[in-house]
Amino acid sequence: MAASAAPSPPSDSGAQPGDAWSAGPELAVRSQELDKIFSNGFQALRKVDLAVGKGEVVVIMGPSGSGKSTLIRTFNGLETIQGGHLEVLGHHLDADNNQKVVSKIRRHVGMVFQQFNLFPHLSILENVTLAPIWVQKRDRQKVKKDALALLDHVGIREQANKYPSQLSGGQQQRVAIARSLALSPRLMLFDEPTSALDPEKVKEVLETIRTLAAEGMTMVVVTHEVGFAREVADRVVFMDEGMIVEEASPQTFFTDPKEERSKLFLSRIL
Amino acid sequence: MAESSRSRRHRLLLTLRRNLFASPLDGLITLVLLAVCGSGLWFLMHWALIKADWAVVYENVCLYFNGIFPADHVWRSWSWLAVLAALCGLTLWPWPLPRPLMRLLPLLWILSLPIGLVLLASGLGLEPVRSRFWGGLQLTLLLTLGTIALALPLGILLALGRRSSLPLLRWLCTSYIELIRGVPLIAVLFFGQLMIPLFLPEGWTFSRVLRAVLSLGFFVAAYMAEDVRGGLQALPRTQLEAARSLGLSPLKTITLVELPQALRIALPALANQCVASVQNTSLLAYLGLIELLGISRSILANPSYLGRHLEVYLWLALLYWAVCILMTSLARRLERTLNVTGHH
Repeated sequence: MAASAAPSPPSDSGAQPGDAWSAGPELAVRSQELDKIFSNGFQALRKVDLAVGKGEVVVIMGPSGSGKSTLIRTFNGLETIQGGHLEVLGHHLDADNNQKVVSKIRRHVGMVFQQFNLFPHLSILENVTLAPIWVQKRDRQKVKKDALALLDHVGIREQANKYPSQLSGGQQQRVAIARSLALSPRLMLFDEPTSALDPEKVKEVLETIRTLAAEGMTMVVVTHEVGFAREVADRVVFMDEGMIVEEASPQTFFTDPKEERSKLFLSRIL
Repeated sequence: MAESSRSRRHRLLLTLRRNLFASPLDGLITLVLLAVCGSGLWFLMHWALIKADWAVVYENVCLYFNGIFPADHVWRSWSWLAVLAALCGLTLWPWPLPRPLMRLLPLLWILSLPIGLVLLASGLGLEPVRSRFWGGLQLTLLLTLGTIALALPLGILLALGRRSSLPLLRWLCTSYIELIRGVPLIAVLFFGQLMIPLFLPEGWTFSRVLRAVLSLGFFVAAYMAEDVRGGLQALPRTQLEAARSLGLSPLKTITLVELPQALRIALPALANQCVASVQNTSLLAYLGLIELLGISRSILANPSYLGRHLEVYLWLALLYWAVCILMTSLARRLERTLNVTGHH
């Protein structure tokens, strides 16, 4: 339901209902009736339908426990799904997650976590070069050059030889973004990238993500930052209790939400 | 000048008084302890310098260090001990060393065992010396290094196996660890020295030293596995997720992300196992190996050194203590080197 209503840029030539199930070349992610049930029986996602077009920036909002993080974690196989269909960058994922498919997807999907999750035993530069060297098996010298350029891009080139614990939270998060970008991903997932930061560090990280959006990166961002969503998102998806309650453009969602649940949520955070 | 030195002495006296004679009871305890320590030290010095006969030590220095290694070849045993001493010296060197040398040190340490085997056994044109001629400190160190070289990799594999997702492998590793931890070391050593030859087919045999290293190594591995497991469990799950999201395969996640961090966390516990291994080699004296304790017992059996137990055992205590102090210093050094790069 939500997928068909998606006001994503490439809408008319996409998969038609009744077709053999396919996301088509214009969509980066498409989920259909996605179910996630944890081993303790808790159902985190209930029949989630979502489509993300290439080049689109989708912001997912919702109260904690609504399944936002779980949803984007299914996109790169960190969570298995128990029902429904999921297609990411042309690769199908289903209930019996095939490890080969998952690793293919991960090669092209970057993920940034709330807690940065840098490797504390490696220097900043080594954090960024690890995957290009060991996963893509690219030439070390070239990888190093590219990594320094990326660090320059996110504004922390001078820290390249320091270790994560020597950097501020904001700097660490920017390194984490550079680390993901080093694999030249086609889709970036952000899981509450600013929630663990001091208030005065939030801006520098959002600025980095904003630049990325301006460059045309396809992104799905779970965040509570209303200002950021309003400015950068092509579409806001509001989730509650494992379901998508409302999808709309930021202007519509923040000024004229349709659903009662959205209105209640916005009245609490705005 | 005089003024300041007097005031310094005054301050010293004040500190002494505050720490040792704060109350009458404090003062009494201080005096009693001083008397006990003083008289103990006096008796020890009196015995060591006047009554003791250290001939049993200095006449047999070569035996303590090299055992009954053939006299023509004893330089080989000395050279290996010198290599080890030089490596310790380089590693513990307090001033900065040239970078290439620093980079080479881990490799040199790994090579120290093969170098020792070549020097002691044979190879590179050296005449063979049977392992039953090995002994003394040289054998103690060889047993220790051999044990560590076997136990550490095996312990890491066992720890990884214990948290594997394959049920059979997990079950096997867990049973092995629990079984070995439930058996006393001396029983494992007896099994290695006396039972294994019985099970081997006729004509099959391998040296007592190798059997000792295998028994010690397989025993210590179980304990090291638990230390490594502790290190692995201390890692936050999120490290794993970050590695996976970057597309690292399970094997690379283990070798590039998990193990480097887990071993760092486990390092103090692993160093503890290594020091304990030195002490444990002395049990082999009771199974016929003439390592440091074994050769000392042989020396004491010589009638001309009748009743010189105290001298010999004090000397042994000093040697074992020196080896252990060296090992703990090496471990601390390693910890510091790794920590400079890691967490605060």
